[in-house]
Amino acid sequence: MELTPAGRQLPVIEYEGFSPEENALLRRSALVQPLENLKAWARSNSLWPMTFGLACCAIEMMGTGASHYDLDRFGIIFRASPRQSDVMIVAGTVTKKMAPLLRRLYDQMAEPKWVVAMGVCATAGGPYLNSYSVLKGVDQVVPVDVYIPGCPPSPPALIYGLNLLQEKIRMEARGRKVQA
Amino acid sequence: MFGFLKGLGVTLRELPKHKVTLQYPDVRPEWPERFRGVHRLLVDECIVCNQCARICPTDCISLSGTRGEDKKIRLDTFDINFDTCILCDLCTEVCPTEAILMSDTFEMAQYSRDNLYLDMHWLHDNELRYERNHPERFQKDAEGNEATETAGEPQ
Repeated sequence: MELTPAGRQLPVIEYEGFSPEENALLRRSALVQPLENLKAWARSNSLWPMTFGLACCAIEMMGTGASHYDLDRFGIIFRASPRQSDVMIVAGTVTKKMAPLLRRLYDQMAEPKWVVAMGVCATAGGPYLNSYSVLKGVDQVVPVDVYIPGCPPSPPALIYGLNLLQEKIRMEARGRKVQA
Repeated sequence: MFGFLKGLGVTLRELPKHKVTLQYPDVRPEWPERFRGVHRLLVDECIVCNQCARICPTDCISLSGTRGEDKKIRLDTFDINFDTCILCDLCTEVCPTEAILMSDTFEMAQYSRDNLYLDMHWLHDNELRYERNHPERFQKDAEGNEATETAGEPQ
């Protein structure tokens, strides 16, 4: 998978109070890069998702956590509190009434935090596309990192999406951008 | 203490048994033939009758075609918006020529919603991928005809 499209230039940063040589090292993150990589490795291998099951996708999410697919293999352990979680798997239909609460729970999560939109309801409204009461995509209230289509996505599809999120965490720690 | 030993007893009893966990990224799941994954498209079969676009409950299919010199209608564009596609199989059921079918591709997660808008080239590539992965489902029968899709019909 091509993750850095050709021709995309990252901005050049000048750090104050350093010599040009040190600046070059810092810009390449030579001094703190191993630490950043280590942090990303630790973070990506202990993603604690908040249980945000709203509809049928939640059943698939629970099934993914159960023994047949076993999310614990990836260090993904469901937590009941937003204070203890790193990632919010929005599994299901978000109604307009639910949206402010979803935002509040997202705000209560500690940094760094990520959001996975599971299923087409959370991605774009899904079968409730013409409904008056359903939010057309959870990205209207929180920033979403990975979208997983499907209605609902099968457990392997969810695992694939979470692996993509782990890849994104490691990539961004290296100062690279994943292809949007 | 007794409860602890009891729990450990359960653990020890389960240890030698067969492991049920599917090691997914390393081991691929075996899907049944009628699994509803992402669509695959046989571009030459499509007669641009628009029935799939009409029956789609979320209006995620859009297609267009032109009539060529030989009065045969050809598909120009065929886009499925997987933002909203709920993989309900209705388009496959109404298709009179079985041009649009379901595959078993499920790895569809993306970093951006824009990448979920897929055109006919992707869908045709998906068809080729499906044929490569399941050669036994495309075996010719005794008369030499292409075995018509048995996956779509209940036995």
